[in-house]
Amino acid sequence: MRVLIVEDERSMALEMEAFLKNASYLCDLAFTARQGLKQMEESAYDFILLDLGLPDKDGLEVLQQAKKCCPEASYIILTARGDLEDRIKGLDLGADDYLPKPFSLLELLSRIQAITRRKSGWKDSVMELGEFLFDMRHRRIMFGKEEVPLSKKEFDLLHYLVLHKNRPLTRLQLSEHIWGSFSDDDYDSNYIDVHIKNIRKKLSAFASAEWLQTIRGIGYKIKAVD
Amino acid sequence: MKLINKLTLFITLSKLVIVLLFVGLLPKLVHEAAARFTDNSLREQQKKVVREVAQRGIDFYLQGEDSYGSYTLLKEEYISLEPGTRPSALPADTIETAMRIVEGDTLNYRVLTHTITYQGKPYILEIGKQESVINRFSRPLQKIALSVLIALVIITILADLIYTRFLLKPLGVIIRSKLVNTQFPFTEKMSLVKTSTSDFQYLDQSLTTLMEKIHRDFEKEREFTSNASHELMTPITILQNRMENLLSEGKLEDEAFLRVEGMMKTLNRLKQIVRSLLLISRIENDQYTKKDIVKIRELLNDVIEELHHRLEGKGLSLSLALSSSMQLSQVNRDLLFQLFYNIINNAIRYNKDNGRITISDSYILGGKYLITISDTGIGIPVNEIASIFERFRKSAHSTEESHGLGLSIVKSIADYHGITLQVRSTPGEGSQFDIVFPWQLVKE
Repeated sequence: MRVLIVEDERSMALEMEAFLKNASYLCDLAFTARQGLKQMEESAYDFILLDLGLPDKDGLEVLQQAKKCCPEASYIILTARGDLEDRIKGLDLGADDYLPKPFSLLELLSRIQAITRRKSGWKDSVMELGEFLFDMRHRRIMFGKEEVPLSKKEFDLLHYLVLHKNRPLTRLQLSEHIWGSFSDDDYDSNYIDVHIKNIRKKLSAFASAEWLQTIRGIGYKIKAVD
Repeated sequence: MKLINKLTLFITLSKLVIVLLFVGLLPKLVHEAAARFTDNSLREQQKKVVREVAQRGIDFYLQGEDSYGSYTLLKEEYISLEPGTRPSALPADTIETAMRIVEGDTLNYRVLTHTITYQGKPYILEIGKQESVINRFSRPLQKIALSVLIALVIITILADLIYTRFLLKPLGVIIRSKLVNTQFPFTEKMSLVKTSTSDFQYLDQSLTTLMEKIHRDFEKEREFTSNASHELMTPITILQNRMENLLSEGKLEDEAFLRVEGMMKTLNRLKQIVRSLLLISRIENDQYTKKDIVKIRELLNDVIEELHHRLEGKGLSLSLALSSSMQLSQVNRDLLFQLFYNIINNAIRYNKDNGRITISDSYILGGKYLITISDTGIGIPVNEIASIFERFRKSAHSTEESHGLGLSIVKSIADYHGITLQVRSTPGEGSQFDIVFPWQLVKE
């Protein structure tokens, strides 16, 4: 998978690049709109991560132009402005997703994966976890023919761990994913433990779920074969 | 009172005064006019007699008699010519109202007395006209004059009213188009109202200029918010991403890992503060639409579901007892969600283990709708109640992560929608939040 990161903040672009490289993506960087558009013409990309606040051109205009030269690519808009208007306009112009800054790299990666999965016609959207089958398309986890009755939040939590399997996720990262959209004035990641406890209870009614591991002092991890 | 009504009142009253004045003066005027007219005609007759006497001699009238007298059939007029007796006492030349006895009837006459000297001898000429005849037409005349006047006054009043209405129309247009129907921020381009009245042109021009200035300032403010958020959010993102990379690369010792995680937690607090401040500033800058229709029961259920884990974690019981299937219109759903989320979240956070939260509703006077959220928590000290909505307020009981913006957000959202908030609390027993929706938002 080839990704073009168009972002004027160099250190941010570099962090994104490092993270995505680690997740086996090939990354190119562009720090201006002009540079980005030039690179789009030169090579084909699967993903274009586009910052809307570029110094040399209005982000939405860049998106419009980019869509013309690379209609095949998937676009994720990154913006710090967080205006609802930008988001609607961006999605109207054909962006596949929208991430308001500050965002977590895990969140970025899971959005990329979700788009990939959707565009590939849900290829590889079912995953084996011990004796369970995790079905991302239909948002359920099956034991044989029975569905494990998880709540929406519990499924989201498990889904996030599955997307980042074999990587320990901290309680903070998990709760940010689940409740991050609220300007809540406190933040108690201990509630993640409550959720995990419930998930474990529900799973163990069917079979053991040793693949859902606690990393002492840090958080949780799902162990699965790649 | 409206200007147009004031003008109408003034016009009508002033015309009324004129009519009254006229009605008061009319009899006197008519009487005066009739008297003058009568006097003139008496003089004419006198001249005629004097001429006759000069041409044909006094005997033309006297016919050898001592005196001459004649009156019309209905005694409306009479004429008499008598020799004067004592010349020194003779009335010279007068016109006056006096009583005369004619054929046994005592009648009121307007009498002209004139002394004619003929061949050295004085003769007294009297010509009389009956008063009732003189005043016969005064009443109908007055009536006619009065009705003509009233007709004229009504016509002028109507003309005045139509014209003032026409004249003041631009004012109404200015108020409606520039003030009442415009919503802050004034994004629409203002066009000048067409009027030839320079005062209104001036008013319109000044208003337009003022609003353009406000609009420009607002745009600047909005730009600032947008820029500030960008400037703050970008470094936060960089820090967060860098820490995430550190954590995910798996090269850190356990100790370092925990420290980086601690840094992320701190950064997260910073992020929440910036986000909250931005949210408040966006609400205050009117950047949210209020076009949603919200079913209150569904909204509260969503909030409760979102907070379910916290309720469970503290073993709290929550009862949602709504009496109606109320809907709110012209609101922003996300903001109302946030409002209830923050209040209920507080009710959870400051509750005792295994405590209770009750949500109920009722209609109150004036079609308003009230939602009450009460808890069995630690309550709010009396001296803190007044300041709980202030930014960065922290009570002695606040948790470490709290940044004291939750209720400020609630307040901003409430103000933005015209919602009133009331808080009551008994320390040690619990708090109660009353959320009063104005009737404009209530839709059954």
